[in-house]
Amino acid sequence: MVRRFGTNVLSILSLALLWELAGRILDSVLIPPLSRVGFAWWKLLASGKLLSNLTLSLATLAAGFFLAVLLGIIVGVLMGRFRAVEHFLDLYVNSLMSAPTTAFVPVLIVWFGLGVESRIAVVFLFAVFVIIINTMTGVKQVDTVLVEMARSFGAREREIFFKIILPAAMPAIMAGVRLGMGRAVKGMVTAEMLLTLTGIGAMVMQYGSAFATDSLFAVILTILLLAMITMQAVQWVDRRLTGWKAEIAIE
Amino acid sequence: MTSLRVQVESFSSEARDLESAGRSRAIVEIRDVGKSFQKTVKQSTAEIKALAEVNFSVRENEFISIIGPSGCGKTTLLKMIDGLIPCDRGEIVINGKKVSAPGPDRALVFQTFALLPWRTVLANVEFSLELRQIPKAKRTDIARNYLKRVGLDEFENHYPHELSGGMQQRAGLARALVVNPMILLMDEPFGSVDAQTRQLLQEELLDLWQREQKTVVFVTHSMDEAVYLSDRVVVMTPRPGKVAEVLDVPLPRPRIADEVRRDRKFVDLTNYIWDSLKKAMVNHHG
Repeated sequence: MVRRFGTNVLSILSLALLWELAGRILDSVLIPPLSRVGFAWWKLLASGKLLSNLTLSLATLAAGFFLAVLLGIIVGVLMGRFRAVEHFLDLYVNSLMSAPTTAFVPVLIVWFGLGVESRIAVVFLFAVFVIIINTMTGVKQVDTVLVEMARSFGAREREIFFKIILPAAMPAIMAGVRLGMGRAVKGMVTAEMLLTLTGIGAMVMQYGSAFATDSLFAVILTILLLAMITMQAVQWVDRRLTGWKAEIAIE
Repeated sequence: MTSLRVQVESFSSEARDLESAGRSRAIVEIRDVGKSFQKTVKQSTAEIKALAEVNFSVRENEFISIIGPSGCGKTTLLKMIDGLIPCDRGEIVINGKKVSAPGPDRALVFQTFALLPWRTVLANVEFSLELRQIPKAKRTDIARNYLKRVGLDEFENHYPHELSGGMQQRAGLARALVVNPMILLMDEPFGSVDAQTRQLLQEELLDLWQREQKTVVFVTHSMDEAVYLSDRVVVMTPRPGKVAEVLDVPLPRPRIADEVRRDRKFVDLTNYIWDSLKKAMVNHHG
């Protein structure tokens, strides 16, 4: 673990150094040295522009992702538990899972307008299908012996669900949530760039078209940081819920 | 060979049924039980007859084993006694009441242990009590008590994957015992542990059984295990499983493993069961 952390730090430091050198040697607007990007980032932060836009973006992300997790798990559980529901829905879920979600943005504009609802819908659509599919798979793969055991000791359907199926499927559900988180961040930025220029996506478009590359890179690095932090958050929850599974995997 | 046959005929328990009827009453009665499964292979559905006309009864506090070739439906029969699988034909009666679902008078021990990997050993043993709405403090007490009896008291906070197969099955046994069932149903419980552990577990089980006064129905494919543990052995035929014969085990208790296995009667009886199984398999294929 320590070793891995050390290598990570080394990787970041060497990339930073390379970037700085490349920026200074090429002396081009296309690649601003990292120090200038850092300065632009500090200016954006000090002016409050970055934070206000980030707050706006995060609110969209949180709303869309929350809905995706909620509905994704419910639909996934129903599909995993009931053959009929699965056969009724799997066609759509599977095709929407691999379809380029960006293509639906115009439809969402027609339905929800250009407001925050549309952006939430984009985040939701980006994230929900992978959560559905992982949840369904997890529920279907629950060891039938465990269900039989519970039934043998007199468990009712409700108890079988909450004490056996849900905890047994939790690692797969959390894998879906983790993948969904990544997709949700993509959805958020896509919506802000394609729908209405708002939040952090708007900053990307604005600085990009103005060739303000130092600020542009500052925003992009912020997005990367955001993706990393949200992923860590999901992993933290995952470890809390399914620590037992991780230990088995290590052995 | 013939003389052995004649000699061991006396094991056959039909005559003894009458003699012992007064001593102990039947607690489980299996009457004309039959079971078929639908099996679908490449769109064509075939009916597979797993069990046909199974008849025998289990006496109170008896240790009875069911032995037979793989696929003879012995596990299915055990799950039918537990009430997990319904009968197609016939009925299973426990204490005068027809079995229709799992009940508190029975507890099942699984071949693959069926422990919940996300629960500690203690929480696994508490699981069966939890389903019976026993309050938390009380169920922890009971579970700890039984963990001690199966020798796992030092491991209550371990997770199943941290334990050996033998220890996992001890936890499985404790989970079944905590609900204090009248009848313990065991489905090849020692089938997935190594040979030494298996012998140890057999001895411990006999020890427990002698102290707890329970009826045990034990499914196995090991003749040695069946004879060593049981009062009677039910020999089944290949699919569709029927009762080939029910044999008494005339070995005194308590049984010391090393002595029993050298006993002439033990050797004769295991040989006899082997012959009986072979005969049933030849008849089946011939």
